[in-house]
Amino acid sequence: MFYLGLACFGLAFLLFTAAFFGTIRNLLRKNHVIPRHVRFLSNLSFGFHTLSILALLWLQVSQDYSNAYVVSVINPPMPTYLKMTALWGGMAGSLFFWSWIINFCLVLGLNRRHILQNNWALLLAQLNLIFFSAISLLIENPFKRVWELGDGSLTESLFSPETGARIYSGMTGFGLNPLLRHWGMVIHPPVLYIGFGAFLLPFAETLSRLILNQDHDDLVAQLRPWLLVAWIFLTGGIVLGSWWSYDVLGWGGYWAWDPVETASLLPWLVSTGLLHSLFLQQKRQIFKRVNLILILLTYLLILFSILMTRAGLLSSVHAFGASAITQPLLVFLAALSLLCGALLAWRWKCLKSGWEFRSFFSRDALFLYTLVLLSAVTLVCLWGLLYPLATRSVSGTQITLDRAFFDGAAAPLFVLLVLLMAVCPLVGWSLNSLKKLSKRAWLPVLTAFFGTAAALIWLTRSWTALLTIFIVLLGLAVLVAQTWLELKAAPRPLRAFWRRRARHGAWLVHAGILLIALGIVGVEALSQSIQGTLVPGDKMPLGRYAVELTAIDEDFENPEYLSVRARLNLWRGDKIIAQINPGQDLYESRSQYVSIPGKRSALTGDFYTLLLDYDPAMGYAVIQATLNPLVNFMWIGAFLLCLGAALSLSAPIAPEPPDAPTEPENDAL
Amino acid sequence: MQKKSHLKIILGVLVIVGALVYLLYSATRSNTQYFMTVRELRDRQEQLSDQKLRLSGAVIGESIHYDPLTLDLSFEVADIPGDHRLIEQMGGMAKVLADAVADPNAARLTIRYHGVKPDLLKNEAQAIVTGKLDANGDFQAAELLLKCPSRYESALPEQAGD
Repeated sequence: MFYLGLACFGLAFLLFTAAFFGTIRNLLRKNHVIPRHVRFLSNLSFGFHTLSILALLWLQVSQDYSNAYVVSVINPPMPTYLKMTALWGGMAGSLFFWSWIINFCLVLGLNRRHILQNNWALLLAQLNLIFFSAISLLIENPFKRVWELGDGSLTESLFSPETGARIYSGMTGFGLNPLLRHWGMVIHPPVLYIGFGAFLLPFAETLSRLILNQDHDDLVAQLRPWLLVAWIFLTGGIVLGSWWSYDVLGWGGYWAWDPVETASLLPWLVSTGLLHSLFLQQKRQIFKRVNLILILLTYLLILFSILMTRAGLLSSVHAFGASAITQPLLVFLAALSLLCGALLAWRWKCLKSGWEFRSFFSRDALFLYTLVLLSAVTLVCLWGLLYPLATRSVSGTQITLDRAFFDGAAAPLFVLLVLLMAVCPLVGWSLNSLKKLSKRAWLPVLTAFFGTAAALIWLTRSWTALLTIFIVLLGLAVLVAQTWLELKAAPRPLRAFWRRRARHGAWLVHAGILLIALGIVGVEALSQSIQGTLVPGDKMPLGRYAVELTAIDEDFENPEYLSVRARLNLWRGDKIIAQINPGQDLYESRSQYVSIPGKRSALTGDFYTLLLDYDPAMGYAVIQATLNPLVNFMWIGAFLLCLGAALSLSAPIAPEPPDAPTEPENDAL
Repeated sequence: MQKKSHLKIILGVLVIVGALVYLLYSATRSNTQYFMTVRELRDRQEQLSDQKLRLSGAVIGESIHYDPLTLDLSFEVADIPGDHRLIEQMGGMAKVLADAVADPNAARLTIRYHGVKPDLLKNEAQAIVTGKLDANGDFQAAELLLKCPSRYESALPEQAGD
C-alpha cells in the first residue's frame, strides 16, 4: 500500500506536470483553446491523485504503524471514521489533502464550461497545483516510513536511509488529539479547504484575462456562481470552527481572535466585499478595477492564511508549529502578489469604468460604504496579525496585541456594518429624500424601539448592547416588512418569492448576519458566570437558575480514557428543569484531558457548565456555570446565511439591457 | 447634482477612514503586550511595572503549588529563547525546555494564577502567560497557556482564561 500510494502520487505529479508543459507549448504556439490531450492528462492525474489519497486512507484504517504519519495521528482505540478523517488531522496529511482539493477544483473547472477555458487560466491553476503538490511530495510527504537504524535509533524517510536499516512498526501512536475528535472538527477542515480551493478558479480566470487583455464585462456572470459557492463553503468552514470551539475547547468561547482564526477571516471579509461590488458592476457597470483587485486579493489572502496556519510565525492555538515549508510558501505568495500587482499596473488604463453614484444616500452608495467598512475591518485584522512580527523585526521585542485590541477596533466597525445592512432595504437605488425614507421606516423603527425597551427592562443596562439590539431588531423588522409588502402585492406570493429568489436569498443572508450579531451581543454583553467548589448536595445560584451537585461518577469503560461526569440538577425557581453532566475525559497516555461541557440549550440561551476540577477522595467538584443568553441565534443565523446564499445561487442572473430603466426595487444578487 | 453627491460620498468614505485610523490608534495604544523572555524581563524589571506582558518559559515541576479549594496556583518558569529559529538550532523545543529546567543558572520567575490547574502544567512544559508584574516582582497571570512538545505530534495547548 505504501508503494501504491507513493507511486500514484508520483504518477499524478508527473501527469499534471506533463499537462503543465503541454499548456506552455500551446501558449508558445499562440493556441488559445485547451487541447484534448491536456484535458485528458489532467483528468488522469486527478484519478491517480485520488487513488493515492485512498491508499493513505487504507494505511490509516488498517493501522500500518510503519508509516510515520499514521503513527502521528492514529492509535488503536480510535473509531474507524476518526481514523479516516485523521487524513487532515496532521500537517503532512492535511497538506496532501489540500493538494488533492486543488486538483479536484482544477478538474472541475476544466470540465465545466464558463471557467478555466483558456490556456493562461489553466496554466495559473496548474502552477498552484504543482507548487502545493511539490511541497507535499518533497518536504512533508505523508508516506514517509519509520526506519530503525543500525544503532537502534529511529528516523523517518521514504526509502532506506542507510544500508542495514529496517522498517520499524513497533510504535503505536498517541492518536488524534482528543480535542479534534468532534464532528464539528471532523468536517471543518474539508469545508474550509473547498472554500479556499474554489477561489483559485476565479483567481486564475481573472489573471488570465488581465494577461490577454480581454474584456471584463461578462466577468460577473461568469464568476458569480463560483464565488458564491466558494463563499458558502468559506462561511460554513469558519462557522463550524467557531461552533467546535464553543462546544469543545472548554472555555465556552466561540471566537478568540487567535491568529489563525483571524487569518481565515481575512479572505471572508474581502470576498464578502467582492460579492457587493460585483453586484455594482453588474447593475451599473462601475467598479471594474475594484472587483479585479478584490478577486485577486481574496486568493492571495487565502495563501496568507495557509501560511499563518502552517508556518508557526505566531504562537497560536491552531498552528501546526514551525515547519520547513514556511520559506517556499512565503516565496510563492510574494511571487504571485508581485505578478498580480504588475499585471494590474500594466492593464490599469484598459480597465477604466466609471464610478458615478446617484446620491450619497442611494443604495449603490451604501454598497460603497459597506465595501469601505469591510476593507477597514480587514485592515484591523492585518494590523493585529502583522504588528507582532513587525515589532519583532524592528525592535527585537515582540509586542503582541491581545483580544481586547481586536474587540476594541473591530467591534465598532462591525456595528456600523450591521447598521448599513439594517437600513439598506429601505433605501432605493436612486435619489432618496429623508421624507420618503421616513415613510417606509416608521413601523420598523417603532418595533425596534419597543423591542429595545423590553431588553432594557429584562436583559441589560449596557448602552452598547442596547444600541446593537436596536439596530438588529430594526434590520430584522425592515426585512420582514419589505418582504411582506412585496409578497402581499403579488398575485401569487410563493411564485413571486421564487422568481425573485436571488434577492430574497440575499435578504436571508442579511437576516442570518443580524441573528449572528444578536447571538454575539448575548455572549459578549449579557452572559453571566460563576465558579464554585461543591460537594454533593451543594447548590450554586446563577440568575434565576441554580445548579445542585448530586454525584461525581467515574467510568473506566473506555480503554483510552477515564470518563468523569458531574451529575448536576438544574433548578429554576423551586423546580428541577434538567439534569446536565459536565465532565472530563482524561487521557492517561498523553496526560491530557478534554472538557466535556454540560449544557441545557434553549432558544433563549444556553446554561453552560464545565467541570473544572474534582477529587474523588475528598468528594468535591469545581464547577463553572455560565448563562449565555441568545447564543443559539448565532448558529441559527449561520444556517440561514448559508441557506440564503444557496437560494441566491440557484437563481440565474438575467443580463439587464444596458438602457433598461432602473426601478428602485429591481435588484438581484 | 452629480458633483455635489460625489463630494458627499467622498466625505462619507473619509469619515469611515477617519474612524478606522482612530480605532487602530486607540486600540493599539491600550492593548499592547510585550512578548518577552524571562531574562529580558528580569533585566528590565523596574521599567515594566504596570505594563501588560506576555511571557514564555519552561515550567519547573517541583515548584508547582496548588490549592484546589481556593484555586490559587503558583509555579516557577525558567528562561527559554523567544526565537523559533534559535530554538530549532538548539535542538528543538523539547530539548530547550529540558535544558532550561536543568540549568541552575537560568533566569527564573514565579508565576501566580488564580484558577484551576491545567493538567498540562507539569515539569518541562512550555508556559505562555499573560499578565503583569506585581510589587513583589512575581508575575500575576491573567491567562495561562501550556504546550507540551513531543516528537510525533504537533502540540496542541490547552487554554485556561479568566
